[in-house]
Amino acid sequence: MELKTLCETQGLPGREEKVRAMVREACEQALGKDAVSLDGLGSVIAVRRGSDPTRPRVLLAAHMDEVGLMIVSATEEGLLRFRPLGGVDARVLVSKRVRVGYDQADKPSLPGVIGAMAIHQQTAEDRKAVLPVEQLYIDIGARDKAEAERVAPAGTPVTFDAPCVPFGDGLVLAKALDDRVGVYNLLRLLDAPYAGDLVFAFTCQEEGGCRGAGTAARRAQPEIALILECTTANDLGDMPEALQVCRVGQGVCVSFMDNTSIGNAELYRAMLALGRDRGIPCQVKTFVAGGNDAGEIQRAGVGCRTLALSVPCRNIHSAAGVCSLSDIRAQEDLVRAWLAGR
Amino acid sequence: MDILTYLQEAGALYGPSGHERETADWLAVRFRPLCDEVVVDPLMNVLATRKPTAPTAKGGRAPKILLCAHMDEIALIVTEILRDGSLRMGNIGGVDPRILPAATVTVHCRPAGGEPATLTGVVGAKAPHLLTEEERKQNYKREDLFIDLGLPAEKVKALVNVGDPVTLVGPAVGLLGGRAAGKTMDDRACIGVMLEAAQRLAAMRHAAEITFACTTQEEVGCRGAKVAAHTVNPDLAIILDVSHAPIPASRPDTTVPLDAPAATYGPYIQHQLFSRLRDTAAKHGVTLNMEHAERSTGTDTDAVQIAREGVPCVLIDLPLKYMHTTVELLDTNALRECGRLVAHFAAEIDEGWDDALWS
Repeated sequence: MELKTLCETQGLPGREEKVRAMVREACEQALGKDAVSLDGLGSVIAVRRGSDPTRPRVLLAAHMDEVGLMIVSATEEGLLRFRPLGGVDARVLVSKRVRVGYDQADKPSLPGVIGAMAIHQQTAEDRKAVLPVEQLYIDIGARDKAEAERVAPAGTPVTFDAPCVPFGDGLVLAKALDDRVGVYNLLRLLDAPYAGDLVFAFTCQEEGGCRGAGTAARRAQPEIALILECTTANDLGDMPEALQVCRVGQGVCVSFMDNTSIGNAELYRAMLALGRDRGIPCQVKTFVAGGNDAGEIQRAGVGCRTLALSVPCRNIHSAAGVCSLSDIRAQEDLVRAWLAGR
Repeated sequence: MDILTYLQEAGALYGPSGHERETADWLAVRFRPLCDEVVVDPLMNVLATRKPTAPTAKGGRAPKILLCAHMDEIALIVTEILRDGSLRMGNIGGVDPRILPAATVTVHCRPAGGEPATLTGVVGAKAPHLLTEEERKQNYKREDLFIDLGLPAEKVKALVNVGDPVTLVGPAVGLLGGRAAGKTMDDRACIGVMLEAAQRLAAMRHAAEITFACTTQEEVGCRGAKVAAHTVNPDLAIILDVSHAPIPASRPDTTVPLDAPAATYGPYIQHQLFSRLRDTAAKHGVTLNMEHAERSTGTDTDAVQIAREGVPCVLIDLPLKYMHTTVELLDTNALRECGRLVAHFAAEIDEGWDDALWS
């Protein structure tokens, strides 16, 4: 499946139905209907039985959801109030376009814009203070509260309106790269050579609290889990090296530790050594920050060994994420090489 | 004229203040079929003139009307190329740094010995979870932001030069109820008003000579209009610019409703001409709201009023939400009504229009 299709599909935490349908169909086609099931939160679990029971049962996981917004009310003037789903910095919302609702065959989503007071009318205080989400709203052109509530009732999902396009030299510019790159690679790895049981989990609700990974892992019951993720790159603007976290174009990022889990030390070392031996570009995540499904998966059920392998992404959690195609490829290559060697 | 299509096409033109040639050429083509003479002056102002189509009341000299709306857009400009290939930027006109994080931009470069090229860029900032608690409470300042071109530093240095203009990206999109949002509605939407008026005037009789001026460099201080007004040497002028429509955070007496044109009153506006404009609106059933400017209007009026030996001016405002963002939002019906009002007002100016001007 094309990365462009995956990134442009709308899928907020708890509202992953569109991504789920695509993923489910791809898994059923590759592994057969019986191999694919949904857990109680809607995560897609695809099991590929191995021939060799002495090999560890491996889980590969990526999350289907993306950060976005949710409508909570309308003002008398017909403007839509919202709350973020997942960690969205309010500063990336001003002056951006969004899609209100999900595209349906017979009814496209509505275009909307997030405005803010004109610079001419701001006081010195206004200029300094970050506009909190409570003071932002989406304008769809509705004339009053009744019209706004009719076309975009409370609970309506809102995604960034941004196409997935090639960017610079070998990069891609899109919303939702976190974590459609992981979903993309998981689908590519459905045929990866491995003699043991291999389980693929496309999880729900990672953004805003890693809710979906534990339930999926308890169904998958892995001994080892690799989490295919996207992580912050802070590598431009003359940033001091210590704050860069990781660099776009320098390879897949291997985490020894973040805020939700400590990566399994043997796996961590083995993965870096494998990258070196095979010439697969790897880098170490040099800043302990963020978190992902690895934490929930590590401690699900009887527990398992985990490691997160992340594609560096600039402007993550915005309408304008930037990843390198070579890093995306390195994530797949590293997992494939590791599976082949187990 | 299909207004949304016009707004989409006009909004996409390249025309930061001082770099308006492409926009001027496109607009000249649009005005040519509606006017007798179209010239582009040394400041890239487009001056499109309709000769009178009716005799004056007593056979005297035809009054000369100047209409003004500006074509230039606010933009950024490259001020430094960093070691890692990202770019620092300055402003052309009043760009609010709050709109920039994660914005897509276009860098217009002219590499030495090479063809002009455009590069897509993204505005980046230090990642939020790496900021201190204090930093997180403050907006990014322009000097904290940078443009990422996704290219290696050597390639950036070969293509980009300090001084290259950078435009914002924000294609116009149609919203509910005939509203539309996008970049550079300020002030190309008002050039749309002039096109709308020119189209109507082509089917009307008018005793005045009417020049439509699409002016340049308004965003850096009404510089194009100063020259346009000198060249045209009008008897009176109608300035068209955008103004602020209310949003929830608006302060009292700073806005006019979105869905109808407005007219400004105050010392920069000739008060009898203003009354005449209100009468014209009433006569033709155009809703016209009022807006005050106790001193400078922040529009081409400021320059036109004091051109040559002085020009009586009226200022018509097209209300807009979120001015100077990439999602400037307007009501296309208000735009159309603006055009209708301007056409009637200009068509009804005849010899003797100034008899009671100073009473």
